[in-house]
Amino acid sequence: MEIVVCLKQIVDPEIPASEFRLDPVTKRQIRGSHALVISTYDENALEVALQLKEKQGGKVTAVTIGEEQATEALRKALAMGADSAVLISDPPLLEADDLGKARVLARAIRKLTTPDLILCGCESADWVSRIVGPFLAEELGLPCVTFGTRIEPRDGKIVVRRIVEDGYHLVEAALPAVVTIASDETNTPRLPKVRDIMAAVKKPITLLRMADLGIEPGSLKEMEGRIVLQDVAIPVREARCEFIEGDTPEEQAERLVLRLKELKVI
Amino acid sequence: MDFHLSEEHRLIQETVRTFASTEILPIAAELDQQARFPKEIIQRASELGLLGMMVPPEYGGAGLDTISYLIAIEEIARACAGTAVILSVNNSLVCDPILRYGTEAQKRRYLPDLAQGRKLGCYCLTEPEAGSDAASIQTVAREEGDEWVLTGTKIFVTNGVEAEICIVYARSEPEPGARGISAFIVEKDRPGITVGKVERKLGIKASSTAEIHLEECRIPKENLLGRRGEGFRVALSTLDGGRLGIAAQAVGIARACLEESIAYARERRQFGQPIASFQAIRWWIADMATRIEAARLLMYRAASLRDRGRPYTKEASIAKLFASETAMWAAHKAVQIHGGYGYIQDYPAERHFRDAKITEIYEGTSEIQRLVIARHVLGVRS
Amino acid sequence: MATILVIAPAYEGHVGRTSLELLGGARRIGEARGMEVVAALLGKGAGAAASQMWQYGVKRVYVADHPSILLGELEAFYLASLEACRAANPGVVLLLADSVGREVGPRLAHRLGGGIVTECIDVQAGQDGEVTFLRPVYGGKAIATYRLVNFPVVVTVKPHTMEVPAEMPVSGETIPLELSMDPEGLKTRVLEVVSEEVTGVKLEDAPVVVGGGRGIGGPEGFQLLGELARLLKGAVGASRPPADAGWVPPTWQIGQTGKTIRPDLYIAVGISGATQHIAGVSGAKVVVAINKDPEAPIFKVAHLGVVADYRKVIPPLIQKIKEIVGT
Repeated sequence: MEIVVCLKQIVDPEIPASEFRLDPVTKRQIRGSHALVISTYDENALEVALQLKEKQGGKVTAVTIGEEQATEALRKALAMGADSAVLISDPPLLEADDLGKARVLARAIRKLTTPDLILCGCESADWVSRIVGPFLAEELGLPCVTFGTRIEPRDGKIVVRRIVEDGYHLVEAALPAVVTIASDETNTPRLPKVRDIMAAVKKPITLLRMADLGIEPGSLKEMEGRIVLQDVAIPVREARCEFIEGDTPEEQAERLVLRLKELKVI
Repeated sequence: MDFHLSEEHRLIQETVRTFASTEILPIAAELDQQARFPKEIIQRASELGLLGMMVPPEYGGAGLDTISYLIAIEEIARACAGTAVILSVNNSLVCDPILRYGTEAQKRRYLPDLAQGRKLGCYCLTEPEAGSDAASIQTVAREEGDEWVLTGTKIFVTNGVEAEICIVYARSEPEPGARGISAFIVEKDRPGITVGKVERKLGIKASSTAEIHLEECRIPKENLLGRRGEGFRVALSTLDGGRLGIAAQAVGIARACLEESIAYARERRQFGQPIASFQAIRWWIADMATRIEAARLLMYRAASLRDRGRPYTKEASIAKLFASETAMWAAHKAVQIHGGYGYIQDYPAERHFRDAKITEIYEGTSEIQRLVIARHVLGVRS
Repeated sequence: MATILVIAPAYEGHVGRTSLELLGGARRIGEARGMEVVAALLGKGAGAAASQMWQYGVKRVYVADHPSILLGELEAFYLASLEACRAANPGVVLLLADSVGREVGPRLAHRLGGGIVTECIDVQAGQDGEVTFLRPVYGGKAIATYRLVNFPVVVTVKPHTMEVPAEMPVSGETIPLELSMDPEGLKTRVLEVVSEEVTGVKLEDAPVVVGGGRGIGGPEGFQLLGELARLLKGAVGASRPPADAGWVPPTWQIGQTGKTIRPDLYIAVGISGATQHIAGVSGAKVVVAINKDPEAPIFKVAHLGVVADYRKVIPPLIQKIKEIVGT
């Protein structure tokens, strides 16, 4: 099975809120000294792809749009077990909106391979828009299943376990298809072995420019014709925590119950 | 001069940091309190390739450079100093001398098991009467036909309980002092080698420290490591690398102290404000950060010399001395910043305080490091 | 004249209450722009729900009653949505950002030219007709404001973030949508629908929620939380780590990726307080945090904090509630 996994490199989303800063001009996070990582669910998507490869055979290609330093995310993907990696990099791409990114990814995927399956994280851990995956399906004219956690190949199709509000659906999809991946206990990303990290450093990464894909810079920000990002702000939280003290847990418990009763919430 | 870690260094750091924070840190306090050897962690570490990090892939290792190795040990020690020393000993004190002094047959025979975690190694140098004065060891190796017969007692052997492959230093030649010593590889399942008293320690409790008794222990001739009478050279050059491992362990402990102190100082409120707003606390934290940064650069510098095949004995001693004293100092301040909470086991500062001390003692005390550094700086032999 | 189109599933004539919340946002935009709010109800047997829309002042209700539009059959839902857009000529399309809207919304938007705001938590419409949409970004660490520039756009709205508007009964009409959908041509199909059994009250509707995090340590600890929740007639939820580890079903997850809740009381136990999680509980009236780590960020957003090991404090808490409040 030929599988393409779309990855995004972002500033570590686990940093505490107190260290989060915004650039007022670009309306983006200031990286500061924080680490760059693969966006959380993209790693789950890679894990699903690698498990499928182990079961079915085939090839996994990791693709990302990013700056030169995004090679590090691709190296990690290679170290985890991806067979090849593609970096699509060009300065105008930094400004691309979700539609622009989906177009670029679609062109790159068509140029590189004829995949059976394209996986994305269900959302990026920075902008959380959940758009690129379904957009990519539309660009490629493929069926789409979102928020899948497990994929079973069955009779030339796949069965996706899609998580929903009150459980899950088993959705059969014809191939090729685009699936966005959410996390569960079966797709916790593996840690690369240090030996594989060393091997990954020696593997080539394919670099694509916009010209290679026939993309015009003007086509990267079409969403702004409809919707414009006006402002990004850090919300002020004012709640000051009132600590319930006590010499014993029993005392703390009693005081808490009395306080909650006062507040009329129990 | 480039102070940036390479892509592979950063990936190794990220990988080991994730491993340490998700799998080791949650049980670090328990390992300490129960003085339990973390079998499951060592198993996972071996899957990730952390047991024979600098061993070339043809012998089953990961083929990392020394900087990568130190990055990994620092991250492990940040979570659990005891686990870090288990790995450091296997990598630096066991795999390394076999790799550098072993015959091709020895490398093929021992390194894959050691590097892939099937067997753990230990390093048997210290004796009751020979600590800092390692050249005065009394364990004897007697030649008998195709065999060496070893008799003596080794103490303070890290991994002594679990190890299956021991590097043993013994007196094989009539010459006194350093020149009469040879190194041997002794498998623990040979008759005549037994584990004696298991020490109860102040810190690094996840690792075992034991006596190893050799009583007419017979090993084949081919288990001699390096040349006859050159054992002391094997021991000392091995310790150069080992000291870097301990420096990395110390930096990891110091970083734990710093990170715990920052978190605590931000949250702990006294006199109506977080204690991080008090200048005394700020200065300590600033000094901790400064010393840690310096210690890390010292060890990277020594590692970079080692990776280039340059002499690095002095630099390794400098890094080990500075890093271990930084760890102890940082632990001291971390406990102080935590006040009463620093003294109790609910907070990790207390564990770091106990763990830090050993870094000033083993693989050469701070005094021995100063001796080594002074000899190099003064240009004298003794 | 462009309309504001609310698209909602109405399988067997049932419209979820959260779908009605969309009407609140729709009405706001409609009033600011002088546009009519219309609705499209999609699903087998959807027609029966039209009167519910009339009840809230929606006169024109498009209905796609088709045997292929069943629970989870999102491709059919998507094709029907496209048909609704053709008929209703929407300037703004509103869908819930739930398991349906998160898949159908972006695909629909792509067909309509790419304008979309997802995971919206508030719609603001000014006197001058300016319409803005708010949504959390960076895992809840920041709020982004998007301005509507041109029609058409799709907006998906996070459930439980808007109020169901006041009733405003009108006599309306239903407009059937002609679907040329070939069930054989669909490339996805639902093989099985598995619903987890909910004992007691649903997480989203519960007045009291007890949430557990990584600090709970394993699936066993959640039984204790369940006991507390049952006593308070509430529900149990979780932050991401327990869901990822499989200690609890993924449906229990509260936060940016999981559910948004607005209970009167939220008790966060062993939850460190990643913004990802906080984003899902910011509507709670009172937040109690129980955590043995006094440095946990959860205490920054909690109203009441108990620094303690939950194993030691929850059993007496259960006891005291029984004594003081009764069962």
